[in-house]
Amino acid sequence: MIAAVEPSVSEIDDLDALVRLHWLRVFRFALASLRDPDAAGSVAQDCFLRAYRSRERFRGECSTEAWLMRIAVNLIRDYARNRRLQFWKRAQASAVDLAAVGQWVPDGGASPESGAMAREQLAAVWNAAGGLPERQRTVFLLRFVEDMDLLEIAAATGMKEGTVKTHLFRALQAVRERMGRSQ
Amino acid sequence: MSRHLSSREVSQWMIGECTPQQEQHVRQCPECGAELARMEAAVALFRGSVRHWSDGQKGAEPPAIGSILAARLGSRIQPMRWALVAAALLVLAAVPIYRNVQVRQRQAEIARADALLLEQVDAEVSRAVPRPMEPLAKLVSWDFSATDGRDENRRDTTKNEEIR
Repeated sequence: MIAAVEPSVSEIDDLDALVRLHWLRVFRFALASLRDPDAAGSVAQDCFLRAYRSRERFRGECSTEAWLMRIAVNLIRDYARNRRLQFWKRAQASAVDLAAVGQWVPDGGASPESGAMAREQLAAVWNAAGGLPERQRTVFLLRFVEDMDLLEIAAATGMKEGTVKTHLFRALQAVRERMGRSQ
Repeated sequence: MSRHLSSREVSQWMIGECTPQQEQHVRQCPECGAELARMEAAVALFRGSVRHWSDGQKGAEPPAIGSILAARLGSRIQPMRWALVAAALLVLAAVPIYRNVQVRQRQAEIARADALLLEQVDAEVSRAVPRPMEPLAKLVSWDFSATDGRDENRRDTTKNEEIR
């Protein structure tokens, strides 16, 4: 969960510090959303530059992180809409090896059977997340990858808290359904 | 609450929405507890997997801000740079063409001058008498065909005078 720290002016004014502190999170969210490392890097760069340029409009209603994520959400949406065709073409050309990513399971001394089951479930979640509608995927990633709470997600997406809950619920239902099928 | 959690209720639980009765049921029901644990484990695995994947990407490291600005400015300057390069190439390509045209014009002028000179030479060569001797040649008639008849007439006149 993101600590709700009052953003200081110096943190936003100092672009170097802003990038150092928040880059990984923005990049990761873009990567998980677009599943393309190059596109994620580009979106992350745009996100920080846009944040820096519009820093005077930032009134501190939310955390710096939520504010950055809001910019990232918009950029990712624009990117996916503008380049949907290219994105899917690239995805088909396996820019991301989903099979390999979905197979990652930390070795916790589990039995081969439970390891295999965990890998199967992980692959199911990856596939389900990839097939979610844009808003559901966004709130799912912000909640379960970025550990943001519902209010932060609402601030980052510009949705009402109730709408965030609805999208999250639907996303979870889709993931559960996929997991059930993979069993 | 005696019945198991429905699929919807499991999803709602994951969002953090559950009633005290549901909480109590889960504490007492191994089956529902296992289902929730399975769901939470899958989500945790997904989180770990995304983070692991993201950390392994070269773009995961925060870049130097200078490079970001350079990349962004570069992308703006690039079209202008290409236009300048195109203009420079155009100028470079135009210079030889212009020079070539000039050379051709000069060659054409020389060729015209040569042709004129040759015509003059031909005209000079084709004269029976060189130009400086032309006034002299006018005084002396070299046309035998034209003078033969007059000489015979003169000879006849002389003979007639002798007979007389």
